[in-house]
Parts: sequence; structure tokens; C-alpha cells
Amino acid sequence: MDVLKGKSVSKKHPIVEGKALVIKDLIAFWAGIDWESGDIVEVAHSGRGQNVTGKILVFPAGKGGAGETFGYYYLYRNNKAPLALLCNTVQATTVAGAIICNTPMIYGFKKDILKVIKTGDHIRVNSQKGEIEIFKENLIYRKE
Amino acid sequence: MYLNKYQQQILEGKYGRGSQKAMEILRAMGEARGAEKMVEISYAHLMPPDVMFFPYGRQGKWGQELIRDLIQDIDHLSVPATIEPKFVDLNIAKQLEFSEDEIKEMNQIMESAVRFYEKLGVIPTYSALPFFVYPGKLNQHVSIAESISILWYNTIFGSRCERDDGVISLSAAITGFVPEVGMHLSQNRYAQVIIRIKDELEVNNFADSDFDALSLAISRRTKEKIPVISNLPLSVGQSYTKLKHLLATIAVESGLPLLHMVGITPEAPTLEIALGPNHHKVEEVLIGEQEIREAYNIACTAKENHIDYVLLGCPHVTMKEFMEIIKIIDEKKVHPNVKFVISTTKLFRDTASDMGYLDILKKAGAIITDSMCIAFAGTKVKGTIATNSIKGAFFYSGFDQEKVSPVWFGSTKECTHAAIEGRWIGGGKYGCS
Repeated sequence: MDVLKGKSVSKKHPIVEGKALVIKDLIAFWAGIDWESGDIVEVAHSGRGQNVTGKILVFPAGKGGAGETFGYYYLYRNNKAPLALLCNTVQATTVAGAIICNTPMIYGFKKDILKVIKTGDHIRVNSQKGEIEIFKENLIYRKE
Repeated sequence: MYLNKYQQQILEGKYGRGSQKAMEILRAMGEARGAEKMVEISYAHLMPPDVMFFPYGRQGKWGQELIRDLIQDIDHLSVPATIEPKFVDLNIAKQLEFSEDEIKEMNQIMESAVRFYEKLGVIPTYSALPFFVYPGKLNQHVSIAESISILWYNTIFGSRCERDDGVISLSAAITGFVPEVGMHLSQNRYAQVIIRIKDELEVNNFADSDFDALSLAISRRTKEKIPVISNLPLSVGQSYTKLKHLLATIAVESGLPLLHMVGITPEAPTLEIALGPNHHKVEEVLIGEQEIREAYNIACTAKENHIDYVLLGCPHVTMKEFMEIIKIIDEKKVHPNVKFVISTTKLFRDTASDMGYLDILKKAGAIITDSMCIAFAGTKVKGTIATNSIKGAFFYSGFDQEKVSPVWFGSTKECTHAAIEGRWIGGGKYGCS
């Protein structure tokens, strides 16, 4: 198990855990992801076809227009939002989405999280400590 | 994070629940991003979801709820504010395939929102290019929720503005503050990667859409790093239309708020000054023909030459673009199977009308509209779309896998020819055909 420390957008969230979905390209929450389904739909995007719902979404940073927050908000209102957001660099619209939708978000880790985390890894996100615990996919992990 | 007495009072609710909520959001953003304090802004550009962001259906209700929560008891804004285009011009919504029910619903949500914002004193620009109405100044702190305008104020004016969104810019306009982070601080504004255009590209002969392609090529390679283009011809900086095409794509394809251009933008009189302390350690990225062609190929998703819609004006058609269209359309007619929609601003529409352009275009069978977002308004149409904007192309083709509209992307000239012929001919030097 690896532990990585970053900056937490809000410390008030309880610990959440789930499966990682690692996306190598920048993510647009508006238009890049369909809020009806939670699927990444952007043309020529490396994550096209993947579904973000309920995942610990690991990505380099947000991108896109100033409507990103609304895109994220609609995902959230439609119960299709990721469980938590982990990124390398911080983008204001991603933070705003995380704030209004109460999604745990940690960014600014010492290591490149795209290299450290693999899709399918089990991640525990501790917003209060600004910490993530990574349980590799091939190691069987049980909560008890 | 430090708040002064006035900011603290806002946070405690002395000025009402709306201001309090706005300050809570701004403080959360400031804390999250490591701000030491707030900075006072003197202008904001708003993107209210109930005006511009799908004001119908479930998302329309959600957008309205989100904003109502924020503005509950607000009766004025702290700074002058302009506003984004409307989602769609309801007079042409039917032609863009919106149903009667949707139009009725939009009429309710959008119109009540418009009345509300205008009563607050918002300058009714309904434009994604508000800088034609409210230009920025060097080092002026502003809050803008419009991707190309964020780029424009930072890049062209040297104003200071983060990539604020609809919620932050509204909170900023209500309180008059934003967290002092990112682009508001000088040390974060230096370029981090050099872009050099290869000699093989004749930028002086670029069609307008070539600037979109250049922009996409740059943003796909720089990703999160602020670029400086070291050798762009100075004439690019003298054309609003070229700059519009150059900034619009990078604004949505990257997370970047700023793009320096040596000799053109105020913070890049020289390459050294644009790079500042980064000048020892930056890499140089070369952009040539191959990269431009690749960008066109990404944007063009259509296979069949047949065209159903030509949608121009993402963002709004400029006078230069009007002139290009007029030159080609002259006495000709728009093809009977094509809907040719030209979306501009009130300002340009008036000018185009004074110049006699609108009469010519109407006679030809084009649909002229203003004050709406054609990227959003065009997302309902079924059929093949031609556009002169990569931003538009991404909205039409990347939106929904099942209702994808195939897109031809090319210059204003190519799009106008497509409107007349009813099929895509292409002909651009680097483009798709």
C-alpha cells in the first residue's frame, strides 16, 4: 500500500473509497463527459467510452470552457458524478465543481499520480488529512 | 486565508444571505488554492446557467435552483458586469430543431432570468466577446466566466483573471472580490513553454480556420503549460478576427488562461521578458504543416460531402467574417437543403445592417441572429454541420455519442461555399476535403 499526500479542497468530507479510473488526458466535464450517462464522449480523447460514475477519477487536470462547473453539477444532480477527484494540477473550474457538489478532491501530490495509480486500484481518500491510500489492483483487499 | 473586516462581515451575513453564500464559495476556493488574501476586482463577466446553459429540461431546473440559491436576496452587484450570450435565439429555435415544449420552457426560464439580471444592472451584452463593449486594462483584476474572454483579457489586454466559471464570477460580481491566486499574481504569468512556428507555414496567408488549427495544435502539445509563440507575424495581433480564431480553440482545448505572443501581447515585448525566471529551463515545441493538418483531421468528423447546416459564429461572426461571406454570396442563394445560420453580436449586427450586408444575406436566404451561443444552439440539429470554429466543431461532434452530428471544419470562405452548393468542397491549403 502506498500513501500519498496532496492538498485537499475541503477537509470536511468523510473518508471515501472506491476503484480508480485513470485518465491520461485533460478532462472537460462539460461536453467532454455526457451527464446523462457519465461516459467520456470527447472525440480523440484517450478516455473516450469510459464511465466516471462512482469512480475515484484520477486525471492530470480539468480543461474546457467556463461552463465546466455546470457540467460537473449536472453530473452530480443526475447521480453520475465520480466519488472523488484526484488530479496533478488544480484548475479553478474543477475546484468550483467539487465545492458546490461536495465531492472530495485532492491535488498537487509529490508524485505524478497518473504513474502511481492504475485503473482498478482501490483508493481510500482521506480529505481531512489530504491523503490517499493506494491498494494495488492485484492485491486482494478486504475492508475488514 | 486572511479576510479584511469588510470581507469578514460579508462572510458573517451582515450584507444578506446571498453575499454570505458568495463569500463562502470564494473563501473555499481561496483556501483550496492556497490564497493568502482576496483581491478587489473592477469588472465581471457573467455566465448564468439560466440564461446560457440549457435552460430547459432537468438541467434547466437544476441550473435555476443552483443560481436561485446564490442570488436569493441580491439586489445589486458590486462591480460593472456584462453577460454571456443567451442559449438560443427563441425566434429561430424551431429552425434549430427545438421542440415547442422546449421553446416554451426556455421562454419561461430564460426570460425571467434575463429580466432579473438586467434589473440587477448587468450590461446586456449577451456576447462571448464582451471586450468590444468593456475593454480591459493592463494589470486590472477582473473575473470572467467565458473561456475565450478569459484568454483575451489576460493575453491581449494584460488584465488579470483566473479561469473563473459561472459560479465564481457571479460570487465575485456580488462581493467584488476573488481569491488572489493564479493569474492574479505576477509570478504565475510567465511563459512555461516556447512555441515556434516552422518556416514552412505561411502564417501571413492563413485562412481564419488555420488559426483554430494552429491553436489546437499548440494546446494539444502544451497542455497545462503557458505558451509563448516566439515568431508569430505582428499582423496577427492587428486582426481581431485572427486573434478570435487563435484564442477560441486553445481556450476550450486546454486549461490555459494565457497565451503570450512576442511583440504582440503586452507582457511579451521580448521572448526573455515573457519567460522571466523560466528562461533557462523551457522546452521549445515546433509547429509545422503536419501538426496543422492533424488538427484539421481531429476537427473534421464528417465523411459524406452533403451539408445540412452551416453554423457560423462560435464565437460571434465579426465584420471581417461578414465581409468574406458577402464577397462570396453576392447575388447567389443559399442551397435549398441547407440552413445557413450566421450568429453575431448586437453591435456587429447593427453595423452589418448599416453596411447593407443584412439585406444581401437575407435575400440570399441566410438566417441572421445575434446574442445567442451557436455552439449550444446548434447541438439539437440532425445532419451534417459545416463550421469555421473548432470550438463549435467539438460541441457538435463530441457532445453525445448517440446523436453525433458529423462536422466539416474549414474557413469562413469554405463554409460559405458549402452553404451555396449544399456540399463540402473544401479547398483549404491544410484543411479537409
